[in-house]
Amino acid sequence: MKVLPYIVLIALLASTQRGDAAPDYLVDVKPLFASRCFTCHGALKQKAKLRVDTAAGMIAAEVVVAGKPEESRLLELVSSSDVEERMPPEHEGSPFTEAEVTVIRQWIAAGAKAPTDEKAEDDPAEHWSFQKLVRPKIPPVKNANWARNPIDTFVAARHESHDIEPQSDATRLTLIRRLYIDLIGLPPDPEELAALAKDESKNWYNKVVDRLLDDPRHGERWGRHWMDIWRYSDWWGLGAQMRNSQKHIWHWRDWIVESLNADLPYDEMIRLMLAADELHPTDLEKLRASGYLARNFVLFNRNTWMDDTVEHVGKGLLGLTMNCAKCHDHKFDPISHHDYYAMRAFFEPYQVRTDMVPGETDFTKNGIPRAFDALLDAPTYRYIRGNEATPDKSKVIAPGVPEALTEQPLAILPISLPAESWQPERRPDVLEAHISQAREKVAAAEKRDKTKDGALAKKHLALAQQELESVQLRVAAIRAAWEDNKAAATASRLAAIRAERKTALKQAELALEENRNELAEAGEDKKAAIQLKVKKAQQAVAKAKKILTAEISGKETFTPLIGAKWSPTRFLESRTDDPSQKFHPTSTGRRTALAKWITDPANPLTARVAANHIWTRHFGEGLVASNFDFGRHGAKPTHPKLLDWLAIELIENDWSMKHLHRLIVTSSTYRMSSSLAGAEEQLARDPDNQRLWHRTSLRLESQVVRDSILALTGELDQTMGGPPIGKGEQEKSRRRSLYFFHSHNERNLFLTMFDEALVKECYKREQSIIPQQALAMANSKLVLEAAPKIAKRLEATHENMSDAEFIEKAFANIAGIEPSEEEILASLDAMKQWRTLPGGNSDSARAHFVWALLNHNDFITLR
Amino acid sequence: MNQEPNSFMDRRHLLGNAAMGIGGIALGSLLQQESLAASATKWSPPSGTPGHQPKVKSVIWLFMNGGVSHMESFDPKPMLSKYAGREIKDTPFADALDPDKLAIERLVVPDANGQMRNTLYPLQVGFKKHGKSGIEVSDWFPNIARNVDKLAIVRSMWTTDSNHGAQAQFHSGRHRNDGDFPTLGAWVDYGLGSLNENLPQYISIGTRPYWNNRDGIYLGPKHNAVPLRIDPNNPLDFAKPQAGFSSDAKRVGFDLVHRLNTLRGSEYPHDPALEARIASYELAYRMQTAVPDVVDFSKESEATKKLYGLDRKETKSFGEQLLAARRFVERGVRFIQIQHGGGGAGAWDAHSKLKPNHEKNARAVDQPIAGLLEDLERTGLLDETLVVFATEFGRTPGTQGADGRDHHIFGFSVWMAGGGLKRGVVHGATDEIGFHAVKNRHYVTDIHATILHQLGLDSYQLEVPGRKRLEIDHGKAIREIIA
Repeated sequence: MKVLPYIVLIALLASTQRGDAAPDYLVDVKPLFASRCFTCHGALKQKAKLRVDTAAGMIAAEVVVAGKPEESRLLELVSSSDVEERMPPEHEGSPFTEAEVTVIRQWIAAGAKAPTDEKAEDDPAEHWSFQKLVRPKIPPVKNANWARNPIDTFVAARHESHDIEPQSDATRLTLIRRLYIDLIGLPPDPEELAALAKDESKNWYNKVVDRLLDDPRHGERWGRHWMDIWRYSDWWGLGAQMRNSQKHIWHWRDWIVESLNADLPYDEMIRLMLAADELHPTDLEKLRASGYLARNFVLFNRNTWMDDTVEHVGKGLLGLTMNCAKCHDHKFDPISHHDYYAMRAFFEPYQVRTDMVPGETDFTKNGIPRAFDALLDAPTYRYIRGNEATPDKSKVIAPGVPEALTEQPLAILPISLPAESWQPERRPDVLEAHISQAREKVAAAEKRDKTKDGALAKKHLALAQQELESVQLRVAAIRAAWEDNKAAATASRLAAIRAERKTALKQAELALEENRNELAEAGEDKKAAIQLKVKKAQQAVAKAKKILTAEISGKETFTPLIGAKWSPTRFLESRTDDPSQKFHPTSTGRRTALAKWITDPANPLTARVAANHIWTRHFGEGLVASNFDFGRHGAKPTHPKLLDWLAIELIENDWSMKHLHRLIVTSSTYRMSSSLAGAEEQLARDPDNQRLWHRTSLRLESQVVRDSILALTGELDQTMGGPPIGKGEQEKSRRRSLYFFHSHNERNLFLTMFDEALVKECYKREQSIIPQQALAMANSKLVLEAAPKIAKRLEATHENMSDAEFIEKAFANIAGIEPSEEEILASLDAMKQWRTLPGGNSDSARAHFVWALLNHNDFITLR
Repeated sequence: MNQEPNSFMDRRHLLGNAAMGIGGIALGSLLQQESLAASATKWSPPSGTPGHQPKVKSVIWLFMNGGVSHMESFDPKPMLSKYAGREIKDTPFADALDPDKLAIERLVVPDANGQMRNTLYPLQVGFKKHGKSGIEVSDWFPNIARNVDKLAIVRSMWTTDSNHGAQAQFHSGRHRNDGDFPTLGAWVDYGLGSLNENLPQYISIGTRPYWNNRDGIYLGPKHNAVPLRIDPNNPLDFAKPQAGFSSDAKRVGFDLVHRLNTLRGSEYPHDPALEARIASYELAYRMQTAVPDVVDFSKESEATKKLYGLDRKETKSFGEQLLAARRFVERGVRFIQIQHGGGGAGAWDAHSKLKPNHEKNARAVDQPIAGLLEDLERTGLLDETLVVFATEFGRTPGTQGADGRDHHIFGFSVWMAGGGLKRGVVHGATDEIGFHAVKNRHYVTDIHATILHQLGLDSYQLEVPGRKRLEIDHGKAIREIIA
């Protein structure tokens, strides 16, 4: 992101400086080559063995002859009108304009001068993020007192080399609010705040940190961050048709929250998300993790599905924009067009199924969506220029990772799965669940009111009983088929089929009874029509009777009782499901191999990217600003050694994220004030805080805005987990916002005002400031109803609270401010006005004042 | 809003700005700096000033959801009636089925819709010549026809997506499967400064069934259209207190918020986010009254209301939206996007019963649109306002089922009016059966480029680092229709 502005800046300078003089190579000429030629003729690639990233190189290669444009082959190529000959070639870059060619010609004519110390482009293999992680030495610093842990030492070293002073610690009140919002996503309770303000122990800060990191609400807060990065989305489609993601994907959300609370190692989380189905094929709890892949389901389009998967495994886990290599070789990173499809090949076999949760046989009600390898032999082809209409079928692409990032090809071994995984009905609970579900139906039928219509009730009961028998016999038949006794298996099969036929008859009889009742009650005008229905029902009964006695053919089977259901795709035809996919006894092992490679401590990217994700959410800005792009086009780390140190700390502490959180929030770097008062001179020298000399204020994320308001009222419902809360129930709900239904199409109105996470990509939340936010804060029911409750709650902290006391209390609890005299006076003045308005009184004045503080900049801002 | 005894607006000139060190910066530029605090890059967004001399200030973008039949609106094809019932391959126009010509269609999932319909279906409506230009318009649009000398009709549009993802495509230039991209209105909002500090600059009215409800995408949510309902009771989300809160109490509250935020500036100087928030509260406060004021038609004359069809049930709803659009334009709103015909894939999506479908829809929009054109002309606004009549694609020359037409991407029509464009002209053409655009073909982004050009913007100069757009995303301005 930062390369381009640099070029733009240079171009601007050029335009102001250019006179009649010969073009300046660095300013006028080199950027032209950089933007169009370096990809193929630079450090990344050397097509035709040519590099044009130095003037000397061009002269040595004899494509530029100093002083002689007419003899310079390069000029001929860039100005050619022949599409076959022209550079850059078609589809590889826009042709040079006449004006640009003129600049190059003038430069050559004037002797092709360039600085003698001109350096060639760095070798991509030397790019910082591709280098092996080595624990950096902690640098010596003068300001050792400031450093609370090694993070600060790295930061102080940069301060000192740039002659910059860190801002002082923020106030205790600011720090408390900062820790609470950052670690659990909620402000402290008034009692907690009061107690902490008075806590005189030396280690009060660390005690708060420990307590909050152990708080289950921490998992909810950070779960939402990771849900942004990992693209959590509830299902969406058109009307009732699920087209994207999966029903019940919330199991994955709960797994994220629980895993964070349990401090499950980051590498283990990644392995489970990519390959739980291969690594723990029968562990339902762990299978929830594979919601990461199930979420990418696209009903109509496999290519979109695969593209999304490759893109976001690349960006989210590796910090690589693999997606740029979908149509051509990557322009900046050593990722070839082929590599893109090799990455896709890891995922080519997988599709989605839903596994039964114990006790619930109805997959529309519950189930665990997860990945499984369905298409064991599906070939992956490279699409020419990324167009799925033109696959290069001459070569099947094997799964693999970019050569530049690994020393040896990955070993991929097929995995044989336990029977319970590919024959989920073998799970002990599955068949039992079918039986108990049938029993429940019998019990329900027994409870039917027999007084009103005894005959009908009897028929219902008969059907339920028959269904139970059918289920039991089918269970027996399924179990018999697992044994080696062919005769017994056949007998069971026949019994099961017959039982299902009986069920069909009972069903037909029930329908007939219902039609007869309808006939009895119908008015004269409708009788004829219902008569017809009765007749049809009679025919159906007769038919069912006939089938009952018919012989059972050798091929006939019964309806199976399933423990998992394939999520149907519609790649072939939009109105009907594709032929259904079987569960296989083996899985390709591809994703396991990929997961192991990604989480290998030797992988230079994974831990760096993870540490940066964590840093980004504590500070609002990453050590690498482009947190999804660690490639050559991405931002450079402001503190490379600190990032490496954090990455190593992560790895060497068993990938414990809480370890990293603790290190970060206990650092002096974290505790600095975000105020820039009196720091004008330093601000002018480092306006973008590249040296981390102050904290930056952050706007609260959408969920934190709503959750904080509810928390302040004391009414926040802290129930954890479970199905998402639908649109209709959201207004009344007091649950935390991460439990709201959240999809591409459907997000809560209030939350969307505050840059709600986009489910397609959200590596960083926007922090916009728009008038609609002001309206939502000023006028929403949420805020207006919360204000009086918050006022009451604050008042209740002690008796006979004066206005001035109330004001101070409200400032501290709502906005984290110790108010100045002026602020108190302004507030008192407003309260006086409110009190004297028609219908005004003390209560309304205090409620209005709370409203004003909820609309205060420092409520929605984390200082 | 001047009646409101609103004191903080005056006070802001007295308070605190000096302490914050950015006094005197206009609101527009403050809003542009919204996320400056969080941004670490040197690159900065557009200044809000047009790059070249603009011809228009505002755009009214009328979008007919579902796909209007070009052959039965603005591009008459008598050959359809002459060869009705014949398969295209058995007519002199068989080369329309040349696979090379059909190849522009993106690979789509085979669908009940979006398939070739090869048996020609006769025109369902008559055409007459109108105005001095003598341009033919179908009898379903008699009132727009009366204004034909104001229109620049482009009969040679094409797109690539034959499902309703083309709605997103018409607005962003990109097929839905490519992901989400900023829409034209968002680019305009991004590129141009505000003309009215009381109103949002990009407004969307009506439902958008087939593309998501966001526009800014990578330009940021601040460039999303502000969705408005032309419902005097609830025109803007959270415009009115959702629980008891008197306007007097609110005024005191807004004043206090302003005062406290300003005071905060002494402890947190050099905080652009704080400045922007203060400004956003001021705009929000004004919007609360300014927006409802726009949709309050009580001061419009009966004649004007009639002109927009407010007196008739079938035209009232759309007429109110267009009247509001004129009132927004008068107040300097840059881009007003109005979708007609929500529900399902869009009201114009006549897979069957095309005749009653189009008759009914045309009746709903014809009078209001004509009224808008005449009203803008009357008030002198037409010169600085561009009205666009668009739809995601045309409909097939061949029949679908007994009496419908399917989606058709290879050739269709849109028109524009006012805003420095030629008047009473037809540009481009489809072949004799309305199948392919054959003369002066234009992809949907050419409309975008034309509009941006008239607004004084160049999409290349608006590009965001790291988000390089393809040439086709930018489009080319249709010079031939620019006056």
